[in-house]
Amino acid sequence: MPPSQATYAPSLDKLIKSLKSQPCEASIEALIFLLKRRQVKGDDCAIATAHILLQVVARSKWHDVDQLLGRVQSVGSRLARAAPHEPVIGNIVRRVLGLIRDEASEDRNNADDLGSESASDIQSLAPTNPPPQRPAPTPVLMRSNTAAPGGLQVSKSMFNILSAATSADTPMTGASTPLSQAQPASVHALRTEVINGIEEIMDEIQQADDQIASFADIQIHPGEYVLAYQPTKTVERFLIKAATRRRFTVLIASIDPIEPGTGEKPYAALRKKLNSHGVTTINLASNGLMAYIPRVNKVIFGAKVIYQNGGLLVDSGACIAAQAAREFLKPVIVLGAVYKFCPEDPSDEAVIGELGNPSSFVSYADGPEVEALDIENTVTDYIPPSLVEVYITNL
Amino acid sequence: MATESNGAPAGAPAPQEAKTAAPASAKAPAAAPAAPGAAAANPEKLTPAQLKAKAKAEKAARRAKAIENKAAVVAATPAKEAGKGKGKQDGQPAQNKQHRPSMSGRRPSIGGIVEKEKDVRSGIPECFSHVPMAKRVQLSQAHKDVDPAVLVVGQQMAAFAIKDSISRLEATLLAFKKVIESYETPKGNSLSRHLVPHVLNPQIEYLTECRPMCFAMGNAIRLLKTKINSFDINDPEDETKEELLEWIDGMINERIKLAEYLIARNAAGLIEEGEKVLTYGRHRLVEKTLLKAKEIGKTFDVTIIDDPYERGGQTLAKTLRQAGINVLYSPNLGGLRPKVAGATNVILGGEAIFANGSLNAASGTADVAMAGQNAGAKVTVLCETINFDRERVSVDALTYNEIDPERNTADCFRLLFDNTQDKYISGVVTEFESGGGNSPAQAILALLRMREDPQIA
Repeated sequence: MPPSQATYAPSLDKLIKSLKSQPCEASIEALIFLLKRRQVKGDDCAIATAHILLQVVARSKWHDVDQLLGRVQSVGSRLARAAPHEPVIGNIVRRVLGLIRDEASEDRNNADDLGSESASDIQSLAPTNPPPQRPAPTPVLMRSNTAAPGGLQVSKSMFNILSAATSADTPMTGASTPLSQAQPASVHALRTEVINGIEEIMDEIQQADDQIASFADIQIHPGEYVLAYQPTKTVERFLIKAATRRRFTVLIASIDPIEPGTGEKPYAALRKKLNSHGVTTINLASNGLMAYIPRVNKVIFGAKVIYQNGGLLVDSGACIAAQAAREFLKPVIVLGAVYKFCPEDPSDEAVIGELGNPSSFVSYADGPEVEALDIENTVTDYIPPSLVEVYITNL
Repeated sequence: MATESNGAPAGAPAPQEAKTAAPASAKAPAAAPAAPGAAAANPEKLTPAQLKAKAKAEKAARRAKAIENKAAVVAATPAKEAGKGKGKQDGQPAQNKQHRPSMSGRRPSIGGIVEKEKDVRSGIPECFSHVPMAKRVQLSQAHKDVDPAVLVVGQQMAAFAIKDSISRLEATLLAFKKVIESYETPKGNSLSRHLVPHVLNPQIEYLTECRPMCFAMGNAIRLLKTKINSFDINDPEDETKEELLEWIDGMINERIKLAEYLIARNAAGLIEEGEKVLTYGRHRLVEKTLLKAKEIGKTFDVTIIDDPYERGGQTLAKTLRQAGINVLYSPNLGGLRPKVAGATNVILGGEAIFANGSLNAASGTADVAMAGQNAGAKVTVLCETINFDRERVSVDALTYNEIDPERNTADCFRLLFDNTQDKYISGVVTEFESGGGNSPAQAILALLRMREDPQIA
């Protein structure tokens, strides 16, 4: 992106600040605009979607649950369509829809008998307390390799979260029909409940990195060599947390070529922080990673999305790291918050990978070259579940 | 021995210096005229005692300078790091050139070299500190017996102007031809006893200093030494030289030129009609093979996976496209899995193959070979037998490797080669017909033995 765009184009921060002051529809349009131009991407999509849906619930006019569901659904699908490469948006929308249905059915139960089930939706999703009214979960997430060394209770929790989301998704009106004649008073109560619920989701998103980081010193041992492939914010937090307790070496790999002496060093901030804790860092300027894997003890990277088959959507090149690690039997550790768990199978497009801008690789000044080359610059990779050893998430 | 190397301190360095200065003149034009001038003026006017005093003073000055430099480096490491590649070459050639004529003996200003080497290598992360790295040896710091032709080759190797193993081998052999041509056996010596230790070894040492020798060079030099030793002490010098030169020519023709042709022919025969070929970076043999296959009328598609640090694949893509071959170009290893899944034949070029069958090749080759093998494609490696190392084995990439001299710090670190285990290689195509043009990588020892080449033993 040319830097000039940043000067006038709105950013996510500006959008979030202006949410209250501008009409709901304008905010939605603004976010769609940002998503389409990829000025909001990755982890930010989740929080942005939550913010917008909060506005939709709080400020749009609705009289019963069905109207609200319809409204959230239509906004959600518009956002998701704006950025089909970010399945996280869909995840958040599903979470909110599930939340609304939960609250609605609770209200109905309250009306039927006064014995209350006071647990908030988030708690009811917690693994220790599976929601009783859910149908038997479909076996979507049973995978052998989630039972990881280190005994993270991933498999069970992932299961409940996703089955809640999927089952809430399918019975469109079943749970909510009795409520269609609800009184305005309960609409107001429902609105407050749902808003609280969305705020909790937002808190969860924001705390996810810290929660994941709390596993850091369990996974990283003193003296180890850790290969971090294009560390995301989550991975950075994880490594820094580990650095406060352990001495180890981090090899940072990236697909973008590093030119020596160009001033700006990649991951400078992360490296400075790690170095201040006495952790050695090395920026690998390398295309292939097989050469370094024998030296490395484990490979860590962050997932963009974790599909229901356990496959991952990641930055391109991470698949090479994972494959190489598998060849040398080094564990691959994937960090991904629960909101990145997507109850879908990877699409064919996702498996092939998304194509990015090739212009940085070929100079347009070189006419014959532009003429001659069919360039495919793949920017995302799909990693099959068989290459992953451990998923670390925030539960 | 001592008399030979110090024999003519006044006369010998001067012409050598003039020749040395010639290739360097582009880089340090100011220094060139100064050096011979000093050399010519000094020996006439100064008494030996004065000379000695002068040399001492200069040495002291140099020490002071070195210490100063070191302090400066410590103070401003990042600044120095950035300009190091160039700085080392242009840094202070004038200064050192002027010292040179007063030097006798081997390795003048050794202090300076050690000092610099430390600086250059200080940025290398500890876990890779054992890996060698090419470095620019200043012309003035080279041993005085190094032939000008070899000096040039060394500089080109250090600057990576000559990069792949076979080009380096060819350049070395041609330079050695010049060395042998200009060689005259001193009285009381014979060529077969004198040439290697007193003339060739300094050249080899210098070349190794510029950049660690590749395996082909190691093999060829070993063969050359065996050849020289096989001459009788009493053989007439002219005939011996003639035979040696012929032998080197034969080496170039047979092991490089002919091998290239045969490998391209053998490998092109292995490409099937309508196949999807995938290759990594740009390797001379792969390029020749694909062009040959096109020439004999096969139709196939090529996917080129490039290394963004070398970008040789772009050149290859252009060449192939001009020949009318369909090319898909990927600038890096991103999305390799789906790309490899579409390919049926992965053709890779190699730098060397070890006795255990593992392949030493440009960094990233191992990833492509591994992905190819896992996706069920045929992984073919093209390699001349002169690149085979029958004595050494390598199990990982850190056994025999080199550090990219431009990327040698923790900020930016890169190894030039990686190690592909034989299990990822379906077959190796060599210039030997007997192997059927395609033998498993583990079979290299058998291959070499089958040839029963007394030379290679």
